[in-house]
Amino acid sequence: MTRILTGGLGRTDVARIVQQLGLDGIDVAESDDMGAAVELRSGRADCYLGTCHTGAGASLGVLVGVLGSDACHTFGRAVPQENQVAALLAAGVKVFGFAVDRIEAVTPVIVRAVAGAHGAPGLRAP
Amino acid sequence: MQPDGIAGAAVAGGHPGFTLAQRLTVIVLCALAAWVAQRAAAVFHDGVRPFLLDFVQGRSTRRATATVSFGLSAGFVFGLGAPLALSTGVLNPWLVFLPTDVLGLVSPRRWLAAALGAAWGAVVVFGVGGADSLVHKLPVDFVTAMQQMATPILHLFALFPVLAVARQFGRLSGALCGVLELALTVMSLKLWPKIFPGSIAMAAGVLVLVGLALHRDTGRRGTADTGPGRPAGAEEDPTAGLFRAGALRLRSHLPLLMLLGAGVCLLCQAHVFGGGEASGFLIAKGDHGGAAQVDFYRALGFIPLIATTALASGAYGVAGFTLVYPVGYLLPGPWLALAAGALLFAAEVMLLSWAGRALGGLPSVRDASGQLRNAITETLHLAVLLGSLAAANAMGGGPGILIVGGLYLFNEATGRPVTRVAAAPAAVVAGGVLLNVLYWMHLFTPVAR
Repeated sequence: MTRILTGGLGRTDVARIVQQLGLDGIDVAESDDMGAAVELRSGRADCYLGTCHTGAGASLGVLVGVLGSDACHTFGRAVPQENQVAALLAAGVKVFGFAVDRIEAVTPVIVRAVAGAHGAPGLRAP
Repeated sequence: MQPDGIAGAAVAGGHPGFTLAQRLTVIVLCALAAWVAQRAAAVFHDGVRPFLLDFVQGRSTRRATATVSFGLSAGFVFGLGAPLALSTGVLNPWLVFLPTDVLGLVSPRRWLAAALGAAWGAVVVFGVGGADSLVHKLPVDFVTAMQQMATPILHLFALFPVLAVARQFGRLSGALCGVLELALTVMSLKLWPKIFPGSIAMAAGVLVLVGLALHRDTGRRGTADTGPGRPAGAEEDPTAGLFRAGALRLRSHLPLLMLLGAGVCLLCQAHVFGGGEASGFLIAKGDHGGAAQVDFYRALGFIPLIATTALASGAYGVAGFTLVYPVGYLLPGPWLALAAGALLFAAEVMLLSWAGRALGGLPSVRDASGQLRNAITETLHLAVLLGSLAAANAMGGGPGILIVGGLYLFNEATGRPVTRVAAAPAAVVAGGVLLNVLYWMHLFTPVAR
């Protein structure tokens, strides 16, 4: 089971969209940056989707400091491709930030990539 | 020129322009703000602050950090700061401090940061005054038309706590809070017609929100179930070490930050600056008490965000917790403002660690603060859209609405290259320029005013 946490301004919307996708092996919960810091650190969660107005720093909150910038990526107001997200996941990124007005477009792309990465044997993070 | 709209009367007579002392205040403060940003001791943009940690620890270059800062700020400078300044005749932090963030971060040397900051300050004080008088002379005066923005912004802003309560605590709580605010507004109109009718309602709404959040947090602490957000764990909070380091770095910059607080407080005391989206209109009208109330409640939405980003990055906000705005508006003299600003920033910085720890245990309060910010954006979006269309109508009638509304919808249809809040005022400026061009081509006759 892959556990995704949502945070920031649009966390309720993001969580709803993740649930509606209904992907196997994906569990979602609403959280915030400080709560997610604890869960991601201890391995109780695998991934964090943060949102703010610009999709930049505030979407990541304290997570840049706690997990390091290598584990965080922001798309800003851009909409990524699934293979782009997959590449980031393979590089160890766990925290994704994007803008609230891009939630509908960005959330499914990231979640499908996460499901793909964690579903494929050998790609699962140790 | 004819005053139109509620706040129009005070401003439309032509802003008297800035006095020499006010100009110097802005220029020196811009130099100081850029200096502080150069040293990564404080930046205004809350979204930039988390990126400063990497820069301070040497994991990111000055150029990369400045690029992030520019990318995040440009839209707010041209889309929010500039149109707000033009429509109120009063300065605002997006116009003044976002560019000083970028200029400071981009400068390899301290003196260069100060020089660029001072230059920006000069552009602001002479530019806002100049643009104001230039546009007033145009056949289609879109700056006077922009004053239509005041009424919807002021009155819808008072409702923002209701939205936050509804989103966080459900439909029933939201509706009750809305009824309470409406009743208080009506009562305030009747009993105290001199004060801004939304201010008491806003205070009540914010109290309801904070009360509900505290109630939920204290109730949660008592039960075993801590909810999904913050499971009870024996391990140490991973943010603790990070926050300690941040607090130490902030304290090491205390004298510089006190100087900054003094400057920002002085600027607010000069009454040529509104710190929030709505307060500029109130300052322009001379309602300093109203502006202080609006910005005080607004600050509640920002304190947790500023505290956590400051502790995580070790860099403070140029306006601190933004409590310096209301304090500055209300103080009677400049010397008092300098002293109060410095002391306030000192107190804020010294209390940051405590605030961070307290907020760590109050997830609902953190959430409420986020909801307040979101609600501010939502009410502002509707108010600015309505005000922009009213401005379009004032400057160009039906064709004006067509152009401004059309530009706004085009922005929506093309995936919002300009952010939502900024799109409508930007459309008014673009539409105003276009209408003037059409006038010179003898294709458009301004609406008789």
